[in-house]
Amino acid sequence: MEPPAPNPGHGAGRPMATRPALCTVRSPVALQVGDVKTDLAQPGVAVIDVALPPAQPLDLQEIVFKNSYTAFLTVRVQRRRPCDVGRASARKWVTCLWNHCLMPSPHTEAGSQDYFSLFRHQLLCDVDQVTAVRLILRQPSPVWLHFTLEELRLYPRGQQSLQTDFPSWLSHLAPQQQPENLHGGVPDPEKVSTEVQQLWVLTEMIRANQTAARIGRFDVDGCYDINLLSYT
Amino acid sequence: MAACEKRRSAPAPATGSGLVEPVRAGVGGREPESEAEFLLQAGVTSMVREALLKVLEARPEEPVSFLASYFEKLVLSGPQGGAAADRHRQQQRLVRALWYVRLAHHSHRTAFNNNVSMAYECLSARGRRKKPGVNGRIYSELLKKICQDGEAPEEVVSSLLKKIQCRDHEAVPFDVFRYGVLSCFVLLEFVAKADTLYDVLDDGSGVADKRVCQAVLGTLEDALGASDFSVPIRYLEAGSKLGPDCLALAMDKALLERKICSSMNREDFLKKATALFIAKVKPID
Repeated sequence: MEPPAPNPGHGAGRPMATRPALCTVRSPVALQVGDVKTDLAQPGVAVIDVALPPAQPLDLQEIVFKNSYTAFLTVRVQRRRPCDVGRASARKWVTCLWNHCLMPSPHTEAGSQDYFSLFRHQLLCDVDQVTAVRLILRQPSPVWLHFTLEELRLYPRGQQSLQTDFPSWLSHLAPQQQPENLHGGVPDPEKVSTEVQQLWVLTEMIRANQTAARIGRFDVDGCYDINLLSYT
Repeated sequence: MAACEKRRSAPAPATGSGLVEPVRAGVGGREPESEAEFLLQAGVTSMVREALLKVLEARPEEPVSFLASYFEKLVLSGPQGGAAADRHRQQQRLVRALWYVRLAHHSHRTAFNNNVSMAYECLSARGRRKKPGVNGRIYSELLKKICQDGEAPEEVVSSLLKKIQCRDHEAVPFDVFRYGVLSCFVLLEFVAKADTLYDVLDDGSGVADKRVCQAVLGTLEDALGASDFSVPIRYLEAGSKLGPDCLALAMDKALLERKICSSMNREDFLKKATALFIAKVKPID
């Protein structure tokens, strides 16, 4: 029952304006037939309930989590629809991801501790105006006793911030149309470009091949006079 | 040389030579030995193999004279006595090292590095009474000789040498040696390419417009940038700045400026272009 703190710096490539939505993530509950306390067999199914603040339904953009030995994941969401307003009846749960495989082989380690990111376009249904999310974890292998998802974060569809560090030359990658009124005296740009690029390559090569070895000169302007050296 | 011609005594039964040659009956009652074993023992096999590898690397136009000079140098590098021959031998070593570094183009990285290391070893052997190693004097002489045979103008060569030369008494480690030699060769190629660029810029008339030259050199300087990091994105950036359309725009804009049409001659252009190159050469300290 710990609300994860939103960390603005996380998320490589994500615009800074998007922060994980505030939500309450409950610890996984194992679904078991029979008495939980006395039955020794471990079930292979657990459910994580995520509750969002009731007044703020979320337009879901992305679900990010770290896997911890879960093999298959099913995600169901509860949405608030305009037709539900005024009705007190239970809202419907809709499956937006069914039996998504997180570990290709449940008995082995592959994918067992990977980070996953589920985007809205990968989900089966529309995930706007979500009020609750339920993640159903399945681990059929008896090898792993405990399985869960960690660092679960839901990202809303926020306003995309303008990328300010877009270099200007990138926008010129598409070839500009040649100016029609090229002076007669302008030499052939293709040939010039070929030659200049070769010059650039040669210079870059010598710059890349710099040696770190040093001769070890300690003189000041060619002079090893002790009075001068002591000033440096 | 009579001693070398003496027939060697038969070796112990060869283990695993793998060659079955008919044994020729020995002259004068010596034990017969197979031809292949003789060649192997005399070191001829490895020598011929080395020579063939060198020919394959260098691909000379005249293989026979190449091989002749190769074997001649091999003979000269044999031990010879006499202190008076020291100076002469040093000149020979210099010539040989020069020949080594010229074998492969600097873009054939492995072959070039191999040749430079052989030249370094060749220069390091300095006679019986001196300690082995390359000192600054012979290193500087080698660099001067390399640059002499190219067509680079004197000023350009001297400004490069100022950066990479070593003082006479300093001991030159291999990395510095390789860097210096590589810089000389790359400079020679750079000068040749800048020459070609001038030919393109003057459109065959022999004289190029000063504004156009300055525009092109300015674009090159811009693309080279001030930073010393080699980040991969810089290659994309340079590629887009040095593309034909950007250059055409730059040249066109330059021609729209002042109406006075002055020209830049070849020497000035080469000087300015090579200044850009030499600025990126790291000085030895």
